[in-house]
Amino acid sequence: MNFFSLIGVEFKKIRRSKILLILLIPVIIMWIPSIINADMNFDTRGIPITPENNFFIQGFMGMVWFMIPASLVVCTVLLIQTERANKGILKMLSLPVNTAKLCLAKFAVLILLAFAQMVMTIAAYYICAAIVSQMQNYNFFLDPLYVCRVTLSIYAGAIPMAAVFWMIANLITTPVFSVGIGLASIVPSVLIINTKIWFAYPMSYPFYLLMVEYGRCAEGIYETQIAWLPWLPAAALITVVALGIACVRFGAAERR
Amino acid sequence: MTLRLETKKLKRTRYFPAFLAGGLLAAAFPLINMLVRSESFTALPGEPFTILMDANWQMMAMLNILVCICGACMMYHTEYADNGAQKMDVLPVRAGKLFLTKFVVNALALALMIILETAALTWCAVHWFSGYEFDALELLQGAGFQWFVTLPTVMLMLVIASACKNMWVSLGIGVVLVFTMCIFPQDNLILSLCPFSSPYQTLAMAAESSRVPLFLGVCAAEVVVLGLLGLVYQKIRRCAE
Repeated sequence: MNFFSLIGVEFKKIRRSKILLILLIPVIIMWIPSIINADMNFDTRGIPITPENNFFIQGFMGMVWFMIPASLVVCTVLLIQTERANKGILKMLSLPVNTAKLCLAKFAVLILLAFAQMVMTIAAYYICAAIVSQMQNYNFFLDPLYVCRVTLSIYAGAIPMAAVFWMIANLITTPVFSVGIGLASIVPSVLIINTKIWFAYPMSYPFYLLMVEYGRCAEGIYETQIAWLPWLPAAALITVVALGIACVRFGAAERR
Repeated sequence: MTLRLETKKLKRTRYFPAFLAGGLLAAAFPLINMLVRSESFTALPGEPFTILMDANWQMMAMLNILVCICGACMMYHTEYADNGAQKMDVLPVRAGKLFLTKFVVNALALALMIILETAALTWCAVHWFSGYEFDALELLQGAGFQWFVTLPTVMLMLVIASACKNMWVSLGIGVVLVFTMCIFPQDNLILSLCPFSSPYQTLAMAAESSRVPLFLGVCAAEVVVLGLLGLVYQKIRRCAE
């Protein structure tokens, strides 16, 4: 079976899981405070930022810090648990399909779900920007190219994190630990982003990227340049190693 | 009898080690914070324990909530995974009683976590702050308050977990609720009384605005109401399936 048909099969498996609904709810919720407190966007508390940029960045803040990692954890639970029930994974492993390929297909579904959430976020952003613009008589729209570029960079930053979560889910078969580690790893990312070793902690990448964007919009808040050099090799290494371990350990508990 | 049964069910899910690990991780926050930048805290005026709570409790409370979510999801996941709940239904055991026992187990595990965290905070206070006076009663009051305001969250999460057969749905609802309570402003009194938001309240913060009785009362009421909701749902669950 080629890779794309495997991905198609994986999507078929989660068709009735209501996962898109679960991913959609936080996307809507994240903009509600922004709409309620729309006039706060003009009160920038001395930070040199335009109201429309303020609206965009404040709206995304909670999303990149908490909700993207949490959604990824929920999606890994979905991908692992749908097949644990009724021993579906045993049947999959007995088929003449390369297990590493199967593992990568599941990972591809994971990051495609994250992509779907990002697309929904952009759509929700424009709907909310339209509502707020109407309410405040001020143009809150940002250039679509800019919005897409920032969102895509955040999404790309989330991929190493997804690989790490996927590795944890495959390594640790007790769900309470794999989920617990995933969720608990979100909490310290606010602290780690301010240290020198942030590039070794994939859960802080999306937050870092948004903070750099914040720094560009508002002088003096944070760095304005992405520190590519220690980061890019570290991120690539983490992704490759995590995916490698995940592929090797995929289905190990069942094959035992 | 049911309590023993419930703990036995959890034996191989690594439920208690997870709570222990969560507690240790949360206890590490104040330690690391003090190791890295103790001067910025010891220089602050005020009660040492309050300073430590203000600096660390937000993250520790969030960790508590996340571990409770995991625990509640896990408890009902073991029931639903291989149709265990159906088997329990044919036994002479009431589903409502099982629900309440699960709540008791969860609350006790949470108490363990909070005791660990309080011990770590106390150790930090004794070690780094010279003017700190050890007062066991005060510590117990603080830990008790923190435990009590987290109970509505535990109860609501158990209701959600018992209502959803699939673990990712209950987990998804849980993290969405945490997220919602995070992004809404915390200074709103009504919001801060809600489950998923009340655990962030510290005893010192509540005492400052003399809202301790209010918090305790509202949280007790929430636990009772949510508990009744859960019990009613256990009765009608078979019809809903």
